Amino acid sequence: MGGVLVLAAAGIACIYSAGSGTAGQGWVYALRQTTWCALAGLAYAVVVSVGYQRFLDAAYPLYCAALVLLCLTMFASPEVKGAQRMISLGFIRVQPSEFAKISLVLVLSKVLSRYPPTSMRPFLIGLTVGAPAVLMVLVQPDLGSALVYVVIIAACLFVAGTPMKYLLTLFGAGVASLPSAWACLREYQKMRLLIFLDPTRDPLGAGYNVIQSRIAVGSGSFWGKGFLGGLQSKLRFLPEPHTDFIFSVYAEEFGFIGSATLLLLFCLLFSRVAAIGLRSRDIRAKILTAGVTAWIWFQAFEGIGMSMGLMPVTGVPLPFLSYGGSSIISITIALALVGGVRADSANKYKT
Amino acid sequence: MPADVRDVLDARLKFLLYWVFATLGVLLIGLYFFQIEHSDRYVRLAYGNRLRIIRFAPPPRGDIYDRNGAPLAVNETTFSIMGYPMDLNKPDMLPRVEKVLAEHGIPLSVSDMEKTIRRQTIAPYRVIRLVHNLTMAQMAEIFADPAFPAQLFPLPVWRRIYPSGAIASNITGYVGEISESELKSAPGGEYMGGDIIGKGGIERLYEEQLRGVAGEESIEVDARGRKVRDLDTRGSERGESIRLTIDLGAQKRAAELMAGYKGAVVAMNVKTGAVLVLVSSPTYDNNPLAWGMSAREWRAITSDANKPMLDRAISGVYPPASTFKAIVALAALEEDAITPSTVYHCPGYLELPTRTFRCWNRAGHGYVNLTSALQNSCDVYFYQVGMKLGIERLLKWVRKFGLGEPTGIDLPAEAGGVIAGPEWKRERFHENWYRGDTINYSIGQGFLLLTPLQLARAYAALANGGWLVTPHVSDLGFREPVSLGVAPEKLSAVQRGLNYVVSRGTGSRAGGFGVAVAGKTGTAQNAHGVDHALFAGYAPASAPQYAAVAMVEAGEHGSSVASPIVGEILAYLLSHPVDE
Repeated sequence: MGGVLVLAAAGIACIYSAGSGTAGQGWVYALRQTTWCALAGLAYAVVVSVGYQRFLDAAYPLYCAALVLLCLTMFASPEVKGAQRMISLGFIRVQPSEFAKISLVLVLSKVLSRYPPTSMRPFLIGLTVGAPAVLMVLVQPDLGSALVYVVIIAACLFVAGTPMKYLLTLFGAGVASLPSAWACLREYQKMRLLIFLDPTRDPLGAGYNVIQSRIAVGSGSFWGKGFLGGLQSKLRFLPEPHTDFIFSVYAEEFGFIGSATLLLLFCLLFSRVAAIGLRSRDIRAKILTAGVTAWIWFQAFEGIGMSMGLMPVTGVPLPFLSYGGSSIISITIALALVGGVRADSANKYKT
Repeated sequence: MPADVRDVLDARLKFLLYWVFATLGVLLIGLYFFQIEHSDRYVRLAYGNRLRIIRFAPPPRGDIYDRNGAPLAVNETTFSIMGYPMDLNKPDMLPRVEKVLAEHGIPLSVSDMEKTIRRQTIAPYRVIRLVHNLTMAQMAEIFADPAFPAQLFPLPVWRRIYPSGAIASNITGYVGEISESELKSAPGGEYMGGDIIGKGGIERLYEEQLRGVAGEESIEVDARGRKVRDLDTRGSERGESIRLTIDLGAQKRAAELMAGYKGAVVAMNVKTGAVLVLVSSPTYDNNPLAWGMSAREWRAITSDANKPMLDRAISGVYPPASTFKAIVALAALEEDAITPSTVYHCPGYLELPTRTFRCWNRAGHGYVNLTSALQNSCDVYFYQVGMKLGIERLLKWVRKFGLGEPTGIDLPAEAGGVIAGPEWKRERFHENWYRGDTINYSIGQGFLLLTPLQLARAYAALANGGWLVTPHVSDLGFREPVSLGVAPEKLSAVQRGLNYVVSRGTGSRAGGFGVAVAGKTGTAQNAHGVDHALFAGYAPASAPQYAAVAMVEAGEHGSSVASPIVGEILAYLLSHPVDE
């Protein structure tokens, strides 16, 4: 788990660098992020000591609470760039969609292990359990989070042993419904997808992000421009440098070497998590690790891929690097659950 | 739970892990593609993203002075009254302005102002010029008046002024707003639209020095184009002033003498080639050109049959007529075709089997030697010399004296003229060169055409002991004189003849100004009308300092019109040494 600390440190450094551009608020952002990292560390210790089983026991109430929160978000939250994602707790604003991911993984582990989706009925039950969360974030609208949910659900269903024909059918149905889904998208979302297909479509408007991000990544070259040396973010050519496009900042300053190292760290993390799942005798734990892996993987893949224009732009935070307390704390809690699985397995082997 | 369920789950979990590895591998390939394979391109893009170069307003041009420091081209600050349409369109605004202006002696009616405003209005926030060309005093007076609307403001504008105006316009040239084609041909984006650029004369040739350097600021900008920091700042540098070799006093005197005539006067220092007088008549006032004139005024100048914008001193080509005889004489001496004591008989004509060539003096000059032939401009003597010398040896000396080709003076648009030898005739008329052509050539009435400046340079070489100078109007154009390699005793034989021309021959009218002038008259036959009058000479005859040429179109005889002009200018120059 030492790799995670390195990732988080890199994240703080990048947030500092991204924030210290024309805004000159690098320290503010970096300090807050450090605080959240510390809080996340605390949460990790608490969750590991509580153990993943107790969380699984409480999966249903937790999931219901999450859905309620998501519901609340729709009605009582300030709009940030056209989407309602935050809920204000007075001094701090929380993004329920992040925490809902934990409860989604938990509830899926529980349901899918109890009703293995090897036949149609339990498969549909699994789908039915996951669907409300997806729909609620879609309504917000938060396409990125909805995609993360879908990936988590798909991964859990897949690992839980769903026959491939069901999954393929589901996938086919999804593709078939794309045209109608297209009609439901908001203008800016449609634009983002069109831009993904051709960034030069609107170089000063929606395509600007992708072009500038590519310039940032590409100009980083092999060794990078050095810490705080990235000018694309300092001069604000890069939009949202400390959140969505944090990887562009990182890649500009640390180059190919740094980016490859980052990918390696993620790989190590995934293999550790998967190894814990493989080692555990608990089917729920296996599904849980699959969900967590898929979750972190998709956000990392999307965050890095969109900085190069290989993926469409969605507002998904890059795990450990992007600024934002909700993201880092919820991911740490998820990892703590995996850590709990590891501790549990270790205990069993000891006895 | 059966064990095989866990096996399925483990297999699927492993598969998920491989899938994750595979996709991250794709990302790695993508990073390689952008950060290594195509990195150069993005580095360039990143650099271009944030660099901006901002140019300051151009500095005032350098001044142009004559050799004594008298101004030929200077800058004057004038003031315009500026205002915004949204202010000007308020009722009672224009009547108030009219009233104040009228009180200070500037007649400008409300309807005139309305017209001006209408013409310039593009947008209510674009400033427009209501009144222009105010002096500092006028501006101060008007703006101090409490009745003057406070919304209007003065804008200083520097403008080019030519105090000498038409007298030296052929030398100074003029400036104007840069044209589209000039903008395109200018190297390296030095100019911007609306810039002032030299359009003729010194203003054009020494544009680089006069213009100075407009300051530039290279700045780094952020995504919104806001300045982040200075990368490099280069201050504006005022243009260099240029001091010409022209003597404005002599130039003015020569212009007065040429008033009413068409033609040119050139005077230069025989040792350096520094040009002191370069008059072309008729001429034009370059001030309105620099301020911007209407298309109609411009047409009036360019379509004038007298071609005021043609600099006849350097671009007008004329036959040298009898002034050429001095060159023929020196060439014949140098080529040993004659000696100073060679004598020919002039019965008033030269009879060849095919044709008879007359002397201008039908009565004949009797027996003439070189000195008296020059003194009386005897045509028959030079017919004989020309035949003896032959056209090829003569042309060799024409070329050595730089006749029929540009002198290299530091002014644009210099003409070359035509040497017009046998080759030229074959090409032009598909005819052979006859002895008669050589005969005509020997008295300067052949096909040879040259500019007054070339003739002045040739006479400077006769005066200074055989050094060909490069004429120049600015010291920047000075070049080391080139020796023609003539024997002093042969040159002095020619000089003696030229002395006699003025002291007791055809050019005596050049000698009436108190200095000893040596020179030669010329009357160029003009196929289109009255003959052109010419005089080329130098002074003082014993120790020459200045050479001068006067060319008066349709002046009939060189002796009557052209020679006094040269005499007076040479006398003026000798009595007004440069105060150094």
